[in-house]
Amino acid sequence: MPTVSRWMIRISLIYFVLSAAIGMCLLLNKAYPFYPEIWKFLPIHIELMIFGWLIQFTLGTAYWILPRFLKNKARGNLGMAITIPILLNGGIWLVVLSSSIFNINSLAKIGRILELLSVVVFITLHWKRIVSYNVS
Amino acid sequence: MPLITRIYLKSGLIFFVGALLLGIALQIDALAFTALVPLFWHMLMLGWITQIIMGVSLWMFPRRKKVESFKNQCWAWIAYLFLEIGLILRIITEPLILTSSLVVWEILLALSAILQFMAVVFYTLEIWPRVLSKEKLKRVRKKER
Repeated sequence: MPTVSRWMIRISLIYFVLSAAIGMCLLLNKAYPFYPEIWKFLPIHIELMIFGWLIQFTLGTAYWILPRFLKNKARGNLGMAITIPILLNGGIWLVVLSSSIFNINSLAKIGRILELLSVVVFITLHWKRIVSYNVS
Repeated sequence: MPLITRIYLKSGLIFFVGALLLGIALQIDALAFTALVPLFWHMLMLGWITQIIMGVSLWMFPRRKKVESFKNQCWAWIAYLFLEIGLILRIITEPLILTSSLVVWEILLALSAILQFMAVVFYTLEIWPRVLSKEKLKRVRKKER
């Protein structure tokens, strides 16, 4: 498993546990209301679960498992691959910070743009790896 | 495909159908209770997508034990049981907590919250050591021989 995939999968697992812990507190609060302000954390729960866990885990696994190139670098440009988790996690943190601490809408916009750029880099890097090497 | 993966995938597919049925119910005025909205999303995101990802990763990630048994895959089995019980308890109790004053629903909903979280922890315990580089995998295999 390449380094980029290992990092993305491990970070996604951390987000998964973190997001599940927030989800547990939200549900416990439904059963036994102990802190009404806890609903502030709902957007963080959603962001970490969808972008932090689901998307990051699948992108990291795809980088590892999609068919490799037969010539030159097996998984394409390493620099581009490294920018995927950097942009994605930067975006996640900006969205999380804007929805919890700073409440600045422009921060969330920048975060979403970083997430989009991360996906665009991912698609650019993987487009040609979505192939079949079977000759019929 | 190992038994545990087949069970995760088939359970995921059942939750998928359940989530879509709930999605239809939410579009019908007489059935559209607000308590059903979080259920719809959790059946879809946790019951379907997350469960499929868990099942496939348990199969595809390196260092899968060839001999299938509860002992060899204990974290994955416990995660499965906790996730299913947690989700089913949630489906039953989350709408009931709004309509009934019985204390038992509060207890079961709290139990469901803890079980779902513990399922995530146990899955992570299973898969974390299997996130390995090729070189590390070779070294681990050499050690195991």
